[in-house]
Amino acid sequence: MSLRRRSITAGLVMMVLLCGLTVIAQEAKVPVRETTLENGMKLLMVERHESPTVAAGWVAHVGSVNEEVGVTGIAHLFEHMMFKGSRTIATTDYPAEAEIMARLDAIRTEMDVEYAAMREAKRRGEITGSIYLPENQTPGLAELREKMKKLQEEQKELTVNNEFEQVYTEAGASGMNAGTMEDGTFYFVTVPANKLELWFWMESERLLNPVFREFYTERDVVREERRMRVESDPTQKYWEQFDFMFWGSLPYHHPVVGWPSDVESISRPAADRFFATYYAPNNITAVLVGDFDPDEALALAKKYFGRIPRGTTEPPDVVTEEIAQLQERRMRAEADTNPSVHIRWHAVPFIHKDAYALDVLDLVLNGRTGRLYKSLVEAERLATGEPYSTFSPQKYGGSLEVGAELADGISHQEVEDSLLAEIELLKTEPVSERELQKVKNQSLADSFRRLQSNFFLLFQLLMYDAFGDWQYLNVSPALIEAVTPEDVQRVAQTYLTDAGRNVLWFSRKGGTAEDPELAALSGQAKAMAKQGLAQINQIDDPAELEQGLQQMKAMKGEAPPEFQPAIDLMITRATERLEMLQAAAGEEE
Amino acid sequence: MRRAINTAVCLLLLVAAAAASAGEIPSRPEQLKYPDLVFDVPDADALRFELADGTPVYAKRDSQFPLVNITVYFRGGRYLAPAGKEGLAAIAGEVWRTGGAGERTAQQLDEELDFLAAALGTNISEVSGSASLNVLSKDLDEAMALFMDVLTKPRFQEDRFAKAKDDLIQNMKQRNDDTAGIEGREWNRLIYGDDYWMNRLATKASVDDLTAADAKEFVTSLVRSGNIVVAVAGDFEPAAMKAMLEETIGSLEPLAQELPPIPQPAHTPEPGVYVVNKPDVNQGRVSIGQLGYREGYPDEFPLMVGRDILGGYGFTARMMKTIRTDEGLAYSAFAALDFPVTMPGTFRAFYQSKSSTCAYAAEIFFDLLGAVRGDGVTDEELKTSKASFIETFPRAFASANQIVGRFAIDEILGRPHAYWTSYRDKVAAVTAADTKAAMSKGLDPDKMIILVVGNIEEIMQGHPEHEAKLTDFGPIPEMPPHAPTSREPCAE
Repeated sequence: MSLRRRSITAGLVMMVLLCGLTVIAQEAKVPVRETTLENGMKLLMVERHESPTVAAGWVAHVGSVNEEVGVTGIAHLFEHMMFKGSRTIATTDYPAEAEIMARLDAIRTEMDVEYAAMREAKRRGEITGSIYLPENQTPGLAELREKMKKLQEEQKELTVNNEFEQVYTEAGASGMNAGTMEDGTFYFVTVPANKLELWFWMESERLLNPVFREFYTERDVVREERRMRVESDPTQKYWEQFDFMFWGSLPYHHPVVGWPSDVESISRPAADRFFATYYAPNNITAVLVGDFDPDEALALAKKYFGRIPRGTTEPPDVVTEEIAQLQERRMRAEADTNPSVHIRWHAVPFIHKDAYALDVLDLVLNGRTGRLYKSLVEAERLATGEPYSTFSPQKYGGSLEVGAELADGISHQEVEDSLLAEIELLKTEPVSERELQKVKNQSLADSFRRLQSNFFLLFQLLMYDAFGDWQYLNVSPALIEAVTPEDVQRVAQTYLTDAGRNVLWFSRKGGTAEDPELAALSGQAKAMAKQGLAQINQIDDPAELEQGLQQMKAMKGEAPPEFQPAIDLMITRATERLEMLQAAAGEEE
Repeated sequence: MRRAINTAVCLLLLVAAAAASAGEIPSRPEQLKYPDLVFDVPDADALRFELADGTPVYAKRDSQFPLVNITVYFRGGRYLAPAGKEGLAAIAGEVWRTGGAGERTAQQLDEELDFLAAALGTNISEVSGSASLNVLSKDLDEAMALFMDVLTKPRFQEDRFAKAKDDLIQNMKQRNDDTAGIEGREWNRLIYGDDYWMNRLATKASVDDLTAADAKEFVTSLVRSGNIVVAVAGDFEPAAMKAMLEETIGSLEPLAQELPPIPQPAHTPEPGVYVVNKPDVNQGRVSIGQLGYREGYPDEFPLMVGRDILGGYGFTARMMKTIRTDEGLAYSAFAALDFPVTMPGTFRAFYQSKSSTCAYAAEIFFDLLGAVRGDGVTDEELKTSKASFIETFPRAFASANQIVGRFAIDEILGRPHAYWTSYRDKVAAVTAADTKAAMSKGLDPDKMIILVVGNIEEIMQGHPEHEAKLTDFGPIPEMPPHAPTSREPCAE
């Protein structure tokens, strides 16, 4: 749902939000030992001995929400750069490398002059398409790129390719990865229980002495990541634009992976400044879950992380608040996908007191015994699959979205009306005690289920900490248990307003293999059917359609055999449409 | 006296120096010293018992959380669906759960399970299936009664059956929307052949013809004594659990007749470059590979290590180092090689790259493959790969649920427990020479298939800075796309 848009291991985030936001019961409390080191770094530890491993990770409290205009995507690019090693790791001669990198930066500065000229040429209409395309490059730029390439080859001689990963892999670490979200950047791995010190060594090393080598080639990787996740995905590129429409002033509006123009232009010195501000220990929380002794782990934390100096300036607070939405906003997207309707409202940040009632509201709508399925699928037969609700509270703002995929022959408007009718019902009537109890029972069971895996627990602690308070894990059961039917009604009235709606309709793109039965035809027969179906869909008068249908039936016998399937399809569709028009006319009378 | 003092001072200095060095942070991670870590594979036989009717049960108690999980695994799956009834296994697996059971309608069953906060799931996959219950231990008896109804008296209620058919057809319509989906389906066709059961995909016509009676028969003929293995984990009293299982799962009807064996592929993949055009994307998806091997293949372990060095899932493999890190051509570049117990797997190297560099990356891949086969692997690579397999091994047995589930599935598929007890020794025994020989013998670039999905016109053009063209890698036979719901070849 909304999380498929994020640049992170989406499955995990989904698990956290789906299970994680449905907590309850005192028994499910996690004994977390919390310590803050002298340099401001926070450490959370949970000791468990079921498996001889430790799930270890840390979160830097920086994500795309902290990015300024022109450098969108830098937080995510950074996530990639943090795997490039240090002054010790991944190099055979750091001083020589440093010299090459300084020369690379200088070339990059010269290239910026060329790019600026190309941007102007583009504004004049002399260049079309991205200024970064090979066909658009100026002779000067080509020369600089050649120089850059040579230097990169030189540096490669001094670099030990991916040594950071190599050290971990050989030590039996697994699941090493990282993820960037709007509110945080996460780094995590599972290590054998006897090698926890290695984790401290490696992580403190990359925070203390990082080297952003391969900076200019890694951006090509990020561009490929964007092509994969967004540009070559049938719906993601539209979701990106919907997000941009949804968020007003709050810097959640731009994609985590960054605008293509920006990602290409970020320089290494800009990255250095970013690191100094946001990767200081006072902006980081580390978490350990698994088979270790907390006293020993704390001693190691002091020894390794303690040597990293506190940042010279505190990371700036995000001061821009979301501007109130004055009127409904709508977007219609034509894509290679089944038709669907999605409606999103602004809700509350993660630590807001109304978040618990919204959790409950969300659960009341979801699932096969939830309200959306019962009405849109079972009673009205308007939707296929399972209609959904997603409450996504983040650090500085939140959203609640409902949506459904259209059943055959159903219009977008019918589905939208029906979804809104369910929202209206939440505002006008309190939810039943039985519904509320069901949701609370599920929360109780889920509050235990979500604790079963070390890695999953680690991930929840990191994420809740990024959203503003890891204690959510332990305090939310009681707070959800306390939610009343009146609370749910009140939050529905407060947040799910008419003017606050943002509506997205997906329609299947015309002209491609959109209509499966049409796609099964070929050649002239297909062209004819395509044209015919388009005409049929434009006729609104039942009498006129009836006449056309009779003519088709009469002429069918005379058509050549290869056209028969096409005519059959047109007759079927015309008959269906006629029935629909007649039914609609009947209702009006 | 003075001398004694000197000695004391010296000793003190020595101790201080030793303490300081213990506290010092070594300059390289290799200098760290670790305590030993011993991990023994859980004893499968100790966890196993049989019910009176012979049904095997693997049970492991873990009272950390007040939850209990019971899974019934069975043999038989999609391969058993008769021709013309494609889609039967998937729909049967779904409506089994959603279609009501015993005295309860679908809606009543859903309500009761949701109110109990019980997670009851059913699934039928390729060669096996399962039904599982996860519930708070205090509610086990109540939930178990519902679970038994689902196991023995599923209703396959008509409205839910029709709904599942509709949903499947809706999903079918999206088959050609995403390049990843196209790639996966076409790959299996090219490797195993159109006639292989795995490639008999549901169509609108086959789904339209399915009936609830077909589905009910399919499920109830498989969930039988003699065809199941049970796994139980969580918070329970062993004696009480055993008694309860005897009374419930222990009294299923016996299997009526032996299941037919799983058919093996007879198709010989035709080497070549196969392209599927999807003009509106700017990144191509490329798969390169060949038919692989079943578990027990003599070179399984050296090939597994060689594959890891060539294209393992991480940044230490050659493909990622070259295609991603050095060249910036792809976000992910890996090679997959599986050894299924019941049929041969595949070797498949895959990556995604912007249209213009798809061919160039293919050239790099073949160079890398040639090097592994011709020159072999380095000792350092071998050491890293083997250590990784051995050290991460305990993660296959991280929880009670994972342990009993693994042993139960093994018994369903016919994998001996010895596979796990000898696993680390077999990895440790692999040498560089073994790896080179296995890669050379087991993988053959001349027999490989190249599948490319994307904007073919752009991909064919290649990149101005690189000479590689798609046509360098073999003939490009015509391959029309398949209509999403009929699977008939179609234009466009």
